[in-house]
Amino acid sequence: MSYTVPFVLTLFGAAGLTGFLGALLGIGGGIFIVPVMVLMFKLPIKIAVAASIVSVIATSNAGGSSYVDQRIANLRLAMFLEVATTIGALSGSVLALYLREWVMLLLFACLLLYMSYSAFVTRNVDDKRIAADDYANAKQDRLSAYLDLRGDYYDQAAKRQVKYVVNGAKAGMGISYAAGMASGLLGVGGGVLKVSAMNRYMNLPMKAAVGTSKIMIGVTAAVSSLLFFLAGLIHFYVVAPVALGTTFGATVGTLVMNRLKSAMLKWIFAVLMLYLAYGMLAKGLALGLNIHLPVIS
Amino acid sequence: MTNAVGEKRGENSETAHVYANVYRVLMAGMFLSTTFFGIGVVLALLKPAFVPLTADWVRAHYHWAVVLAGLRAGDPAAFMLVGTLLLILTPITRVVVSIYVFLVERDYKYAAITSLVLAIITLTVVLSRFGLQQKG
Repeated sequence: MSYTVPFVLTLFGAAGLTGFLGALLGIGGGIFIVPVMVLMFKLPIKIAVAASIVSVIATSNAGGSSYVDQRIANLRLAMFLEVATTIGALSGSVLALYLREWVMLLLFACLLLYMSYSAFVTRNVDDKRIAADDYANAKQDRLSAYLDLRGDYYDQAAKRQVKYVVNGAKAGMGISYAAGMASGLLGVGGGVLKVSAMNRYMNLPMKAAVGTSKIMIGVTAAVSSLLFFLAGLIHFYVVAPVALGTTFGATVGTLVMNRLKSAMLKWIFAVLMLYLAYGMLAKGLALGLNIHLPVIS
Repeated sequence: MTNAVGEKRGENSETAHVYANVYRVLMAGMFLSTTFFGIGVVLALLKPAFVPLTADWVRAHYHWAVVLAGLRAGDPAAFMLVGTLLLILTPITRVVVSIYVFLVERDYKYAAITSLVLAIITLTVVLSRFGLQQKG
């Protein structure tokens, strides 16, 4: 591989866009950057995936620090749910040795389809609840109350302080476990599932879910990155422009996110999850049942 | 900055400390790795050379002596390697620092939760290296 200014700038640009979207949505963004590296630059898929996972840490640092500073990220909730995601990621990589990949792909496709539908139909609920200060009113389950899970942040779109109490700790743990498993097993989809679960089942305003997920994904990605690093798959020349790009993009993204209406974020989410679900469905059907759906890439 | 925000918001001091320390770790990780990556990329563009895309080439740099000599000689790969390591260590440092802050604040509930996260991370790395066949 020869290292040229166009190569570096294109990777930086694509990574910048990934970092920007990732900051808006609280996700890593591997689904955006890996195809660029593989299709445009013909980089080996393993090197592309390894670089993308390291860039998830970069986007989590850049986005997470801003969300921590603004109190959009809930650190206690993040640490509590990290128990579930890290166990999920571990069991995912163990299960990968025994399970058929296509079964898992179909299962996660169904889960994503449902979450996409659910984000779409509830897209206007968040802004109304913020206006009515309704997130502060939920009744906490025993675990959430025991762990004192609550928070508040300033919403720049609604121009008010948004208070919330967390509930549904068990459902949230369950889906965070599944999200960790998706990252360990399939390498994608963890952030998307976590944000949706926190918003849908744990009474978290969309933006708090995005910020909390943003800080959480760094830990899961660090573990995978460490393993890729030891295996010699993290190619410095590829990682460097990608990490610089995602850091820049995520920094810009955090400035924009809090100004958007939650309905807008949920719209983007619903579309993204539909796209991810379709990709998994197509891959699962092709692998398991030899049915080939048209591929969007 | 974060501490001031915390005080203004009437947070208790524990919450403010946790947020301030996590913020510091993330910012430090971001600035340091960005600096090393930036120097590496600029050096690599100034000295165009063919770079093999193999794991063997990457792993040839995994020695302290090679990295230190590379940093002195202005080898781009050495700078990028340090950037990569700093990046990977940032979230793990964040977990370790959080455990420390929770212990200092005598919040044993959260010190235990965060320690559990660190234990699972360690177990995953150990199992992947020595037990399980790595995927892919």
